[in-house]
Amino acid sequence: MDLLTTSVATADGDPYTLVALAGEADVTNSGALRELLDAEVAKEPRTLVIDLSELRFMDSSALHVILRANRTMDRQGGVLALAGPRDPVAKMLRLTAADQLLPVYATVAEATAE
Amino acid sequence: MPERAALDNLAFAPAEPEIRSSYDTAAPEPAVMADVGRTGPPPSRAGCGVTEQDQAAQLRTPPPLPPPGDDVIGHTYRTDLSKVRALVLQQGRAAGLSESRANDLVLAVSEVAANTLRHTQSSGTLTIWRQPGELVCEIQDEGTIADPLAGQTRPGPDATGGHGLWLVYQVCDAVELRSDESGTTIRMHMGIQPPS
Repeated sequence: MDLLTTSVATADGDPYTLVALAGEADVTNSGALRELLDAEVAKEPRTLVIDLSELRFMDSSALHVILRANRTMDRQGGVLALAGPRDPVAKMLRLTAADQLLPVYATVAEATAE
Repeated sequence: MPERAALDNLAFAPAEPEIRSSYDTAAPEPAVMADVGRTGPPPSRAGCGVTEQDQAAQLRTPPPLPPPGDDVIGHTYRTDLSKVRALVLQQGRAAGLSESRANDLVLAVSEVAANTLRHTQSSGTLTIWRQPGELVCEIQDEGTIADPLAGQTRPGPDATGGHGLWLVYQVCDAVELRSDESGTTIRMHMGIQPPS
């Protein structure tokens, strides 16, 4: 079983792309995460939501990949949002102040509400 | 303990008093600043035979870390950080850490172990033991950390690197770091509340 599994969903007419991460995101799979996010960001979605609700662990290398994607989304005039982080991941986002840099929602539904 | 740790960590720094004035006082958490404030050279004591050269040498050569306890758990890793995290979580829970603090320790150890993967070609060792009032996790590898203050200031708001050691210092009760050309040892301490 892979340490980190990912899925991408873009429904026709939806103004957002949903990337769901499950398992553990760390330095051993941050390269794969980067490729996945780069590919989605390159499609220039208006909103990219990363669902973290099934992610048990995230380290700083995964965070850096996300922050990098956020910077590109910013430049493209889009928004990257995080949804549903569990306690340890939410705390890490807080300690690094990443939660002040990009929106963090409790659920995917909230992140895609507008 | 934290004061001592901060002093010893800083002992790597060249004995330049300016190091404190170059510290970004806006960024770190208050607790970190409090510790840094205590890390200047010791006051000179006239007539006791300690020269400034002695003091400088002492500051550059930190005292060795005390040996681990008798009852240690050892684990060697190269790429499987998931196993490292599982072991730390299990030991943290067994030692009586709350779920939140056990997860803090998992994050800290994982961040340090990730540096082994990033910066060395060889395996690293995790050693875990309990000592009075705390659980200790130590990571040893062949990497070298040149900056003794690495991780003591928060990376800028949009930095896409450098958060690893910052997190380690934030979540642990005390961190001891020794590093030279032969390798790096980082000890992470988590206090354990006695059962009430």
